[in-house]
Amino acid sequence: MLLQISEPGQSTPKEACKPRVVGIDLGTTNSLVAHVADSSPVVLAAEGDPLVPSVVHYAADGRVLVGRAAQARALEAPRDTLASVKRLIGRGAKDLASVRAMLPYELEGDDRAVRVRVAGGRAVSPVEVSAEILRELKARAEGMLGGPIEGAVITVPAYFDDAQRQATRDAGRLAGLEVMRLLAEPTAAALAYGLDRGSRGLYAVYDLGGGTFDISILKLVDGVFEVKATGGDSALGGDDLDRAIAAQLAPLSAAGAADPAGAPGAAGAPGTAGAAGAATAAASDDLAQRRLVAAAVAEARRVKEALTTSEAATFQLGADITGGAAIARAVTRAELAAWARPLLDRTGKACRRVLKDAGLEKEELDGVILVGGSTRSPVVREYVAGVFGKEPLCELDPDQVVALGAAVQADVLAGGQQQAVLLDVVPLSLGVEMMGGIVEKLIHRNTTIPTGATQTFTTYADNQTGFVIHVVQGERETVDTCRSLARFTLRGLPPMIAGMLRIEITFLIDADGLLKVMAKELVTGKAASIEVRPSYGLTDEEVERMLLESFDYAEEDLAKRNLAVERVEAERILAATRQAFETDAELLDDDVRAAGEQAMTRLAEAMAGTDHHAIRVAIEGLDLATKPFAQRRMNRAVAAQLQGVSLEDAARRFE
Amino acid sequence: MPGSPPDSAPRGGRPDAFAELGLAPRYDIDPAELERAFFERSKELHPDRFAAAPVAERVAALSRARALNDAYALLKRDTSRAEYLLASEGVTIGDNERIDPELVMALLEEREQLAEARQRGELREVERLAAAMRARRSEALGRVKELFAHLSALSGTSGEARAEQLAQIKRQLILLRYVARYLEECDAALDED
Repeated sequence: MLLQISEPGQSTPKEACKPRVVGIDLGTTNSLVAHVADSSPVVLAAEGDPLVPSVVHYAADGRVLVGRAAQARALEAPRDTLASVKRLIGRGAKDLASVRAMLPYELEGDDRAVRVRVAGGRAVSPVEVSAEILRELKARAEGMLGGPIEGAVITVPAYFDDAQRQATRDAGRLAGLEVMRLLAEPTAAALAYGLDRGSRGLYAVYDLGGGTFDISILKLVDGVFEVKATGGDSALGGDDLDRAIAAQLAPLSAAGAADPAGAPGAAGAPGTAGAAGAATAAASDDLAQRRLVAAAVAEARRVKEALTTSEAATFQLGADITGGAAIARAVTRAELAAWARPLLDRTGKACRRVLKDAGLEKEELDGVILVGGSTRSPVVREYVAGVFGKEPLCELDPDQVVALGAAVQADVLAGGQQQAVLLDVVPLSLGVEMMGGIVEKLIHRNTTIPTGATQTFTTYADNQTGFVIHVVQGERETVDTCRSLARFTLRGLPPMIAGMLRIEITFLIDADGLLKVMAKELVTGKAASIEVRPSYGLTDEEVERMLLESFDYAEEDLAKRNLAVERVEAERILAATRQAFETDAELLDDDVRAAGEQAMTRLAEAMAGTDHHAIRVAIEGLDLATKPFAQRRMNRAVAAQLQGVSLEDAARRFE
Repeated sequence: MPGSPPDSAPRGGRPDAFAELGLAPRYDIDPAELERAFFERSKELHPDRFAAAPVAERVAALSRARALNDAYALLKRDTSRAEYLLASEGVTIGDNERIDPELVMALLEEREQLAEARQRGELREVERLAAAMRARRSEALGRVKELFAHLSALSGTSGEARAEQLAQIKRQLILLRYVARYLEECDAALDED
């Protein structure tokens, strides 16, 4: 049933012309891109370096630097050098109250999204910053694979909510990538491990990255990777440990790192002494403090990493940085363990909960897989071994394993040789707000995706003509403790007494874990209906506009790119349709065949031109013309699977 | 803003969840067999298998995969599988079903104990109560299994005997709903630390 992708200009699909697709691990600290070359995935390294630090520097002259080059500017221009933006993506100012105090750059924004004001007065969104990192990875991959990238699987923390996933997908689109799939990081890691080792059984994946923590439990059987349960904290990672160490050892006044008074939604520094005094500090003091934060956190990270291989290390900051006496303080691994303990205990709690959700005891696990740079630390390893009662596995590089798994999935989606099937889940329950601020859950956490749910509601006031639907995500029972994803109104309802109308709300979640909501009025059949995707990220128009504005794509480039994309798609669909017409000729009526042939001729004509819209229209025309045929093929494939049901019966059932 | 759902009938009234998995409808099903069937069907129907197919096939595949996942979720849990089978016999469970008065009293008392333990932060006591309630659940599920076995033995006999059997299953399932809610509260209490 899998249709292969063919290169433009080739009439028969061939295994040989492998599509250039990649897997991307867009990390808090580092990002990587990987590709399946022959049968096994490899990380694409530039000059021997597989990691691209997830750092973007905005220079006053408008230039943008990414990776090591950007990192080199962190000390001299802390406000214009953005690290750890993954912690900001898809989040509002309210969510970030506790983080912002320790960021060396300034945040502004509202409860829906934040921006960072950088050199030249430009305000950039986390989506745009992430897109810069993705562009860098794309350029690296294109350089090494010798041509344009046709598709990418981008990984996200399993515990990312819908807003964070949407925003990540938008970043991919903004970088000009065809996002084939958003894939949960622990699932990607399990895929890399499972295929590598041919494992079967129950595994826990403990993924402690720079800024996110995931714990997933998977069952591996004959190429099926079923996520039993997932949990975590999308705002907990190695970064927090660095900050905890820095806060222990450097004279940090957190208020100096907080936003200047007056920034919308400025949160101040909760619970920190001296906050009020520092708020009036002069701008130069402010810059010095930002520099101190950046340097202290960087030094803390160095010390933490040094303690991976040795029992003691020295934390050092020069007098030029501290503004007072220089600091040189010996730190032992035992001290690190003590400072890390509160953070690790949060992960331990999530591990126990996820075991419970999966209905398992820790003894039933066949292994524990470590993922994420932070799990290199012996302090973390010992803790994980303690939680699960067994030594964790770490044969694959914990920094690379997610990207490797993503590359495998990209290969699967492009019709490669691997036959893995990933059954992932929704990490957090989804529901709607009811009267009184109570949440009615439509989809519960750990439900296998894709999934859907429909429920009927009614009006609570007489003659109500509008119906507000507030979509939320989270486990708690009241709205104010859940994440608000979208709020929309179904209008034009017929006036009736309370409780008479029937409004059907449907939630659909696709294989990327992204939500679509539909609402329909049932009683009068007047079909007041609405369909929305929560718009925490960007609308299609916004992405298009940003694409046009960005210097990578002048308007012509975009048209050219669109043309290339549509031609590839058209070629693929023509080849697939021709092949399907041949192999399943018996399912083809004469009139459908005639309509199909005609639509194919139109598409071939459109392809010869230079108007990408015309090609799109012709593709859609072909889809429409062959729809009855496609439906029959699907039905037959499904029917063939129904044990104990005759083909004839099955055909009737699905017609 | 939505008011209460007017429908109290159980959700997920899929036409044939068992057929979705290629299995014959029955209560007493081996979880391993169910899982095997789900994995096999997933290999055929997962949207990934249709990533390069024309749009119409991709859309169709997505809804097939949804139906499969939802059917598996419904049948995987003993209680929802039992409620589903009952619903297919025309017996549904509303939100405000009546249960035996003695049972109500016992349950009320147990809830009070839980609320007190929760308030005092006595997690060990909460755990003890949860363990007792889980034992109660196993017992009720065992009873449901027996009753379904009797029910299938009754096939072909008078409607009355079947109706009585179904009513007995329904009583157990109502009890299991209370038990589930109680255990949810226990979990919430244990999560608070």
